[in-house]
Amino acid sequence: MSIRGPRKGENYELSVDLNSEYREKRKDAIKRVIASMTVGKDVSGLFPDVLKNMQTDDLEQKKLVYLYLMNYAKTQPELVILAVNTFVKDSDDPNPLVRALAIRTMGCLRAEKIIDYLCDPLQKALRDENPYVRKTAALCVAKLYDLKPELVMENGFLEQLHDMISDSNPMVVANTVAALTDIHIAATSSEPSTSSIDNSSTVFHITTAILNKLLVALNECSEWGRVAILNALARYTAADDKESEHICERVVPQFQHINGSVVLAAVKVVMIHLRNVKREDLGKQLIRKMAPPLVTLLSSPPEVQWVALRNINLLLQKRPELLSSEIRVFFCKYNDPLYVKVEKLDIMVRLANDKNVDALLSELKEYASEVDVDFVRKSVKAIGQTAVKIDEAAEKCVNVLLELIATRVSYVVQEAIVVMKDIFRKYPSTYEGVIPTLCANLDELDEPEAKASLIWIIGEYANKIDNADELLTLFVDTFTEESYPVQLQTLTAVVKLFLKKPDSSQAIVQQVLNTATKDCDSPDVRDRAYIYWRLLSMDPAAAKSVVLSHRPPISIPRTTVAPAVLEELIGEIGSLASVYHKPAETFIGKGRLSADAIQRKVGPGEDDESQLSTQKALQTVVAGQQSENLLDFGDEPSTEGGGLSGLAATQTMLAQPAAANLIAGTSSNPLDDLVSIFGNVSMQPMSATPSAAPGGAFGGFDFGQAPTSAAPQAVDAFAGLSATPAAPPQQQQQKPQEDLLGLF
Amino acid sequence: MGIDGLIILDNAGRSIIQSGFRSTTPAYPLLQIDAVNTALAAASRPTDVDPVIQVQHPSNSDIPSACCHVACGDLRILCPISGNVDPLVGFAFLQTFVDILQEYFGGVSLAIVKDNFDVVYQLLEETLDSVGHPLTTSHNALRDIVLPPSLFSKLLNAATANLAAIGGGTPIQGPPAGPFSSQIPWRKAGVKYASNEMYIDVNENLQAIVNKQGVPLTSSAYGKIEVACRLSGTPDCTLNFTNPQVMTDCSFHPCVRLQRWSRDKHMSFIPPDGHFVLAEYRYTPNTNSNSAITRFANPSSTAPSPKEVVPIPFAIKAKFEVEETTGTNGATGRAASFPGTLSATVMLMLTTRPIENVFVELNLGESAHAIKCVASRESGGLGRGLSALESGHAGSASASWSFDSRKKVLRWEIPNVPPSTHWSLQGSFAASTTPPRPSHALQVRFEIQSHTFSALKVDQLKITGEGYKPYKGVRGRSTGNVEWRW
Repeated sequence: MSIRGPRKGENYELSVDLNSEYREKRKDAIKRVIASMTVGKDVSGLFPDVLKNMQTDDLEQKKLVYLYLMNYAKTQPELVILAVNTFVKDSDDPNPLVRALAIRTMGCLRAEKIIDYLCDPLQKALRDENPYVRKTAALCVAKLYDLKPELVMENGFLEQLHDMISDSNPMVVANTVAALTDIHIAATSSEPSTSSIDNSSTVFHITTAILNKLLVALNECSEWGRVAILNALARYTAADDKESEHICERVVPQFQHINGSVVLAAVKVVMIHLRNVKREDLGKQLIRKMAPPLVTLLSSPPEVQWVALRNINLLLQKRPELLSSEIRVFFCKYNDPLYVKVEKLDIMVRLANDKNVDALLSELKEYASEVDVDFVRKSVKAIGQTAVKIDEAAEKCVNVLLELIATRVSYVVQEAIVVMKDIFRKYPSTYEGVIPTLCANLDELDEPEAKASLIWIIGEYANKIDNADELLTLFVDTFTEESYPVQLQTLTAVVKLFLKKPDSSQAIVQQVLNTATKDCDSPDVRDRAYIYWRLLSMDPAAAKSVVLSHRPPISIPRTTVAPAVLEELIGEIGSLASVYHKPAETFIGKGRLSADAIQRKVGPGEDDESQLSTQKALQTVVAGQQSENLLDFGDEPSTEGGGLSGLAATQTMLAQPAAANLIAGTSSNPLDDLVSIFGNVSMQPMSATPSAAPGGAFGGFDFGQAPTSAAPQAVDAFAGLSATPAAPPQQQQQKPQEDLLGLF
Repeated sequence: MGIDGLIILDNAGRSIIQSGFRSTTPAYPLLQIDAVNTALAAASRPTDVDPVIQVQHPSNSDIPSACCHVACGDLRILCPISGNVDPLVGFAFLQTFVDILQEYFGGVSLAIVKDNFDVVYQLLEETLDSVGHPLTTSHNALRDIVLPPSLFSKLLNAATANLAAIGGGTPIQGPPAGPFSSQIPWRKAGVKYASNEMYIDVNENLQAIVNKQGVPLTSSAYGKIEVACRLSGTPDCTLNFTNPQVMTDCSFHPCVRLQRWSRDKHMSFIPPDGHFVLAEYRYTPNTNSNSAITRFANPSSTAPSPKEVVPIPFAIKAKFEVEETTGTNGATGRAASFPGTLSATVMLMLTTRPIENVFVELNLGESAHAIKCVASRESGGLGRGLSALESGHAGSASASWSFDSRKKVLRWEIPNVPPSTHWSLQGSFAASTTPPRPSHALQVRFEIQSHTFSALKVDQLKITGEGYKPYKGVRGRSTGNVEWRW
């Protein structure tokens, strides 16, 4: 047989014991073999000895031998064949446990030689009188399909599986559904050219008859079975709204299941079929029933909470009324892990309304005094978002921010100033009284973003700040040492100052334009300086109308993803996609989507709405393109009208895969996704460059111009995803994309 | 597609046991382990690592995967998932598996897993299919397939070969009643007990945040009805409550007939054998009950109306002062330390029962050191209870404090707080380099025996379908986790 090791050492002793005449000694030896295997010692040499112990009445011993076989079948395929006889014999054993065990293990061995012997026992097992054997056999068919699809087709296992959906035992039904779904996924995801099998038969098409069987089995089987069935129900296309209603009503009781994954799967099914439900009252009722189980999930361990929170965040974007009265359950505790806190914060802002804003603000203020820098910053940011979201609360928010600035904790002050800039954008000329307080902290700022924000504020209100020129001089003097965003802002602010107070600032504007055009490394800064210079020298009136133009107000986008993507993600509630808030294609590397795929994805049902959003997103891209032609000013007035003329261009762009890619927020480069997963999904619309996003694309980031609607915001978020398109046709797309970013 | 497998790591991040992975490359589990270890090493606090870590396959980006992981005692259990799968399935499975280990071995730790690796392996085999579908996770069914390492099976092992050849049945298993022969998936057939018993534990956990003014911002009790069932045959139980309306947001074990519950609020079920969670619920007082809570809650604009919160059974007054040394901002302040004093008082508001095992924790911030505290009982109770309690419990319940210098957590422990007593902690500490930044919240954990916040009361437990008269017992127990800001 195999080469024997030396007649000493641990393996030799084991081998002796494995051949002992006492069964207890043999069993103990098997255990020791498994133990060695566990810690990574090579016991493959004992294969023949272990194999001898396979024929036994002791189930536990048999299991241990099987365990050993599974581990070494890959490395010793020629020896596994010796076990076949025992396997086949075991599949006829009177004990159903042994029968099932034999079938299951044979499926796991993944050895070509075993596979051929698997079919006959499997055939029998599928018709076994014992449900445990049947349900094990059902799953085995999926394994077999994975190894050798031909065998499944030849033996008619698929037809048999379809028959088994009518099985009397719900667990068998559930496992059959799981197996069919696996085969369905395997068959539809593999390339058609490489598969020799006709796909139509492997597709698990759920008919009305199957639907009813599934609905019956749903209430009877284990939690895992329920998840499998619910996932299958999610794929079903209802014939009409009556049927959708029926499905929803039957699935709703699953909300009360004790297992969170069942709840989430049920939520998914209801959200999908809710699209077709026409009765308003029923829709509302279903949404109302969804809230309690989601709240219950928040009393689970933090890991589960996090998954729940990510999904709740998504659901709220689609159904803002969900959980509207439950803001308090999202209050953060000091001991919550950071990832839970951050999600809760985001959801709290989402749930903010004029009734709960007081409680929310006092919470946020509390968080801002905590120790964790990241969390404190996010809390301050959330205060700003609340101010922008709720007009009535803006003043309170400003007061809270002032209190925080008074703490003089460096990062709090800096973040607060960034946030104040957004509030000034949203409510121009309302809170000028706080400007002196902000300017008092000028010396302490060391972060570019905070500096840039303050400079923007100074430039914007140059005519109201007496010593604006002095303050700006500070930055002009150190111009070349500052980072590019600060340089850009300084440039713009000085030009604004000049346009507002031409008499006193002639010198400083001259100085800054000189420095920017001569001593600056960044082409962006130089270009902008040249443009300003030319504008100012040729037509100051035009310069005024461009630089000091009226800016559209900013608002918090209701969604962090484009509506079309949101719709897709809602359909995948309780999946990785919904946790990462990105469509599956972006991190499951199936390559990029074609425009066709997007069209198909949009689907006939929700055509109008998502088509609209698609077009809107594209319009913005086009608008960005046009404004680029106009000259890329920081304060370029981008009107909605610009999009209208771009409609024609929209049509042509839709034909380009890259554009489609952009809309769906997909990326061909998975690495980008990894980098930006957490950076982009957080809601930081107007103020922040997502910190984790690839830096280069955001070089031209400018605070002067903020997104005007949700659609461009989506594009903003996606820019991080598709920053480095791989395919050549996308190269041309790159440019407008970056210009668009420059606008924001 | 689905759950790829399960890996159990020891606290050094080495794999102890892992299930058989179907994946084509043997490197796959190693990658998962590596990803988790890297993430753990990169994080400043292990609790801040994202619970789902995306793992990139080195050779084939078409295999997407992520790794769900949870810490469990001194172990960390990983559950790699691939495809577009719900991470919650991964976590639910992890939780289930930990529960199973708990049921089998009475605890989960490195030593236990190492001692029982053969059983753990068998459990892995039975609970998780290699294609990623969880199989049998019901404890009732599992016990038929995988023998728990009980004294009996040890005896069996030691006994002669003949005995073992019987097939290693459980003590009370009739030969025809094989596994999965039962019509009810969660209950095994042919259960027999000499004495039939059913115990119901109503456990409630209070989760609350209290603000500086002592007003609860959010406070709700999460209840769990746990049942230990040792009943023969196939009993049909009906559980009635006198006040079922206190239970909201209920979720149930699949054995509970939902229609019955929604119709007349009776929990009707055929119980699994052994220990299980029958139902979970949330309790938030509704508008028509509990006027007593107004005592605890001062009206305030930012607080919820007192009727929406569960009252906190105690009150804390905390004071924290830092002495302002001169030149805090200047260069001289750097070397100086910042002495601070703290004092806190706990008062029990409950008049009927003591609360036990009170732990008050405070994070004192990075540079805290030189902690000196005195934990004492202040003035005993007020009024009538004083003398009796003083004499009765004087020695037994003494408070103590400790300081975890690694986590910078000051912990104050009071084993027993009798009704209407005051306890105090007074002390000082010093912080170097920066002004001390202690957390603004005290974390309070406590237990109350024979008490539930909701006052949920079992009216009747009817058991039909079997001839015997079982022994029945109901018990309430409360725990709490309160964040008290100051």
